[in-house]
Order: sequence, then C-alpha cells, then structure tokens
Amino acid sequence: MLRGADNELILRRPWRITAVIPKPVRRVNSALRGAPKLSLLFIVFALLCAAFAPVIAPYDPIKTDFSAILETPSSAHWMGADNQGRDILSRTIYGARISVRIAVIAVFLAASVGTLVALVAGVFRGWVDTVLMRITDGFMALPYLMVALMVVSLMGASITNVILVIGLLRWMGFARVIRGEVLRLMESDFVRLARVAGASRSRIMFRHIFPNVINTLLVLLTLEIGLAVITESSLSFLGLGVPRPEPSWGSMLRDAQQYIYIAWWSPVFAGLAITMLVMSCNLVGDWLRDRTDPTRRQL
Amino acid sequence: MGRYIITRILQGVITLWLISVAVFFILRLGGGNPIDYMLPEDATPEDYQLMTESYGFDKPIIEQYWIYNLNLMQGDLGNAMAFDRRPTVEVVWERLPASLHLGGTALVIAIVLGVTVGAVSASKPDSLFDRLGKILAISAQSMPIFWVGILLILLFSVYLGWLPSAGAVDGLAIKRLILPATSLGFFLIASHMRITRSTMLEVLESDYIKMVRAKGLPPRMVLWKHAFKNASIPVFTLFFVNFAGLISGAVITETIFSWPGVGRLLVDSLIQRDYPTTQAVIFFSAAFVLCVNIFVDVMYAWLDPRIRVAR
Repeated sequence: MLRGADNELILRRPWRITAVIPKPVRRVNSALRGAPKLSLLFIVFALLCAAFAPVIAPYDPIKTDFSAILETPSSAHWMGADNQGRDILSRTIYGARISVRIAVIAVFLAASVGTLVALVAGVFRGWVDTVLMRITDGFMALPYLMVALMVVSLMGASITNVILVIGLLRWMGFARVIRGEVLRLMESDFVRLARVAGASRSRIMFRHIFPNVINTLLVLLTLEIGLAVITESSLSFLGLGVPRPEPSWGSMLRDAQQYIYIAWWSPVFAGLAITMLVMSCNLVGDWLRDRTDPTRRQL
Repeated sequence: MGRYIITRILQGVITLWLISVAVFFILRLGGGNPIDYMLPEDATPEDYQLMTESYGFDKPIIEQYWIYNLNLMQGDLGNAMAFDRRPTVEVVWERLPASLHLGGTALVIAIVLGVTVGAVSASKPDSLFDRLGKILAISAQSMPIFWVGILLILLFSVYLGWLPSAGAVDGLAIKRLILPATSLGFFLIASHMRITRSTMLEVLESDYIKMVRAKGLPPRMVLWKHAFKNASIPVFTLFFVNFAGLISGAVITETIFSWPGVGRLLVDSLIQRDYPTTQAVIFFSAAFVLCVNIFVDVMYAWLDPRIRVAR
C-alpha cells in the first residue's frame, strides 16, 4: 500500500498513484488545472516556429521559383506554392516570426503606456486624473483602424511603424482597467500604512501598487496580443502593414485573394494560422482571468 | 436630466474638435507633399505653384489650420484632391448609403443569429447545441474579418457558384449584399451570443420563471415571451457598443468585396494621398461613434437615475 502525503486520495482513487509522480510534475499539473492545454501547446509551437524559422522551414520564404507557380499541395510543397512559386509552408512559418514579434513588442509598449497612465492617474488623483482620463476617452473615440491606416500610410509601411501605431493606439484598455484596480488598492490598509510611514508617491506607485496589478496586467496582455495579431494582419492585408516581400500572414492573404478562383490553398493556411494563434491567446487569456478572479467567470 | 444631456454633448463636441486637430496636424506634418502625386510628370514649376496656392499649401501651417477651422464651422471640410475635386462632404455623403446598407444588414444578421443561438443555448446548457454554439462564438471572435470574407467567397462563389463575389455589379442587389454583410456580421455574432446566453441563464434561474413553468406554460413561451424580454436589456447595450467596431470592420469588408462605401473611400483616399477626403472620412466616423455613445449615455441616465447624480 502506497502512503503519500495525501493518503486519503490514494485510498479513494486507487488508480491514481499520486505518490509516484514526482513533486515538480505535480506542481506543474496543479498550476495548469483547467488550462486550455491545446492552446498553450499551440502558443509554444508558434513561438518555436518564430524562433527557429530558418531551421524548420523547408524553403526560402522570399525566393521565387517559377517552376512551382501555384502548385497544389504535394509532398514537395505541403501547403502548395503561391503565385510566385514560393512555398506556402515556409512563408507561414516565417510569418509566425513577424506576427509574434510585432504583437509582443506592440502590446508591451501599449501596456507600459497604459499602466503608467493608470498608476499616475490613480495615485495622484484630482486634476491629473481628470485630464489623463479625458485624454484616454478621446483616444477611445478614435476610429482605431482608420487612424492606424492613416498614420502608417503617412509614415510609410514598415514593421517598426506598425509596432508604434498599435502600441500607441491600444493603451487605453490598459489605462482604464488598471486605473480601476489602482483606485481600489489605494483604499487598502497596506497603502494607507505606507503613506502614514511617509513613503513617497513614486514608491507607493511602483513598490506597493504595481506588484498588485500584475495579475490583471497579465490577463490583459494575453487578450491584447490576440487583437494585435489581428490588427497587424489587417494592416498588412490592406497593403499598409508589413511591406512585401516579407512573409506576413496578412500580406500572404492579400496576394492570395487575387488567385482565389484557381488556387484554394493559398488563402487557407495563412488565415488558419492567424485564427489559431488568436484563438489560443483568447482562450489562455480567459483562463488566466478565471484563475485570478473567479467571480468574473463568463457563464 | 437636461443638464446631464448638455454636459455630455459639450464633452462630445470638445472630443470631436480634438480629434479634428490631431488628424489635421498628423496629415499636414506627417505626409509628403500631396501636390507631387496630383500633377503629371511633365508639369511646369508654374503649374506646381498654381496648384499649391489653390489648395493654400503655401501659407504657414497655423494659418492653414485657422482657415480649416473657419470652414469646419460652416460645415465645409474642403475640396477633395482626387474624386473630381468635389467638396469632400459631398463625396462622403454619396458613399454613405452603401455603407449603411452593409452595416445595417450585418447588424441584423449578427443580432438575429447571435440572440437566437444564445437564447436556445441557455435553455439547454451543456447540450450538443450549446457546445456547438460555444465553438461558433470562439471561432467568430478569433477569425479575422478578411479571412471570413475570403472563405465565404471560396465556398459560395468559387465552389457553389450561388452568390457573386467581389466587384459584381450585375445580379440582384440582395444577392450582392449577402456575402459582405455576413462576413462583417460574423465577428459580432460571438459577443451577442455570449451576452444573451449569460443573461438568459441568470433570468431562467429566477423565481418568476419557475412560477411560469410551474403553471405549465410550454417551454417556447417561457423562453421567448417571459425570459427573453428581461434578458434583452444588455443585448441592446451591446448593439450600440458595437458601432465603433463595425466601422473598422467595414473598412476591411468593403475593400475585399469592392463595396462602394465610406470604408473603401478611406483606403482609396489614402492610396491617392487625398488628405481632405481622409480627414473628412475620419471626422464623420468619429462624429458618428460619438453621437451613438452620447445617445447611449443619455438613454442610460434616463433609465437609471443614479448615473445622472454621480458626477
């Protein structure tokens, strides 16, 4: 008879030999309870594709091959080839690199701006709060995609500009939600005590408040990364995002749209990649939100 | 109440003005010289000079802004540089019906489908229908609009040949509308479904529904006549919240399906470097969203007096 720390559990469910499973594995298991495992797996897969694209991809994503123009999916080209004979599988793998990079950097930029605005507004209150929140409202009233298109078309389509545009037009969600958290935390006893003890405002902001909003921040980050992937690919699809011949998923779809009557495979895979990545981010974000705050669980 | 409405409208006007300022300066300071794009390559310096003067680009930027503001007060957003150089207000105005058609149909599709599926799912939680509905909601939320559009074209125009795809001018108007409106409405289905389902679940748990059930009313009557009425309030809110998203979606959908609406006008004006038209499109879109927001706020204040009192 096995005797583990949770002896009772073994007796009740003899098929589950808990004591044999090493502790680190158990810890990981309990951390991942209820997690959308397929989504996590897909995110890891996308990150691996992004990191090791040159190793994984069977072909050069940019080099054209006129003997393979619009080739159907085959053993040589698993996902077929596009209108310039470029291997779609290789382009999709390299596309992960561009999408992940843009989305992650842009969302971190947005999160930094938004969190800073929220911290300053929530800690200083008064007119500072009013002014910052009115600015936030103004940004929120902007027709987001239209302004993004306008700015990118003026500054020129490039990866850096896409990052800047998404980062500087998407911080309002962070500012709004985190400010709410900050206001709540400001009323808590430990912040009051810190103020009585004479902590400066910046110390309260970064030492006392910030560590307590990280959970919320993490949830927002995950959800926003999915949205950023969609925005980046939308801009690229409209021809105002990542410039050609870089293999962005959006611009792959833009090219594919013209050949839709003769090559069904060319728009399918890039779109599938976007959808899977965004879906994974959404599901993981929802799960994180439920874990950190079960009361907000969606029915 | 009157005071609340006036404050909200004033705030809206100030926001709109700030947006117009931002757009004006971004366009003037950020872009190259639009005259370069308008004149043919063999244009003489005199032509160039004449063109610059006729658009007022030779004046200092502050003066240009002053003129722009004065015109704005009179409802004049300047003349377009492309589109036969007609007043931009006119250009936007004539594209508006097409966009309203498309957006309106998309909203109807989203609401009818989303609310029905959501309500039926709530009546049988964890059934096969509910699970399929959940999958539909999650995919609708994650699929980019342009991919939905392309897939719809692939299925209904390329394979089945039932409906015309992009750029079709022949055929029934309603047939041309179906694919663009479905792809635009698709991402809205998810949110409508989720909110209907969760509020319906709450309502279905309440005592008065139990009472109605106990009286022996058929389930369909319970669901649609008694439960749905009370669950519909959050759904209506969502209806208005979606307007801003609808505009972004319209830009993409109209581009895929060559739909002659305002969204397509924006992309065209950007490609042709037609600043005044870009400015007008963004101004009108922002104004539209702001009006809807103010309307929603006022409605809420009317429904719930606590909102009026708080600030």
